Amino acid sequence: MSRLPWVAAALVLAACHEIPQDAPKSYAGKADDKAYASDLFNGDKGKFEAALAARAQKQNEYLRMADEKHK
Amino acid sequence: MARMKFICDAERCIECNGCATACKNEHEVPWGVNRRRLVTVNDGVPGERSISVACMHCTDAPCMAVCPVDCFYRTEDQIVLHDKDLCIGCGYCFYACPFGAPQFPQAGAFGLRGKMDKCTFCAGGPEENNSAEEFRKYGRNRIAEGKLPACAEMCSTKALLAGDAPVITAIYKTRVETRGKGEHIWGWSMAYQGSDKLSDQPGGKS
Repeated sequence: MSRLPWVAAALVLAACHEIPQDAPKSYAGKADDKAYASDLFNGDKGKFEAALAARAQKQNEYLRMADEKHK
Repeated sequence: MARMKFICDAERCIECNGCATACKNEHEVPWGVNRRRLVTVNDGVPGERSISVACMHCTDAPCMAVCPVDCFYRTEDQIVLHDKDLCIGCGYCFYACPFGAPQFPQAGAFGLRGKMDKCTFCAGGPEENNSAEEFRKYGRNRIAEGKLPACAEMCSTKALLAGDAPVITAIYKTRVETRGKGEHIWGWSMAYQGSDKLSDQPGGKS
């Protein structure tokens, strides 16, 4: 009699997990060039990432305002 | 390794459609295909909010999971791209995508769907970087030029941020910490550091 709530709880909680339904899929198309493979970066990944990081900071107007104050 | 993402600051977006226009212009996107678009919640009601929506380059992308021909791939910078030569235009990705990002040009009679087109984070596709073929199929490859997506760089209020996730979240964090949040950040005093009374505004009558 006292086991009934436990059994019910176990059955309810059994639905609370997710079984992966699909395996990681592989790409079947053409290989793409690396973004930094162009003449601009000559395959230098560090230079490429630094260029993008510097470019991203131009979106920060607080930094730009600080630069203006220092001029 | 970078993890490229978009963030749209709903407090700043003024629904100017500059991002959508920049995208259309940069990639010469055909009529009927909208890689980026504006969504406004409570349109016309005071306090309405707009956000710019495109492919969010999901970390666990549902479009990749459902594609029957496995035409999706992820670049080193975690940008989700696809091979149009492989795409069969089935539309599964459209149904799977929570953002409505995949677009299908109506390429003929009887509702025939063309190959899927979506935001590439201005990173082109699986063709030679900055080649005419890449531009024709996927648009310009600004990332290979060391630039960020045109939509974000064109955004006049910098509501739309694009770049490596830790970098743009830091920018957004600084912004929120500086301006605060909620209803009190609106109005004249917030914008111009003065009084909220109309009579105190330039040209106001007392």
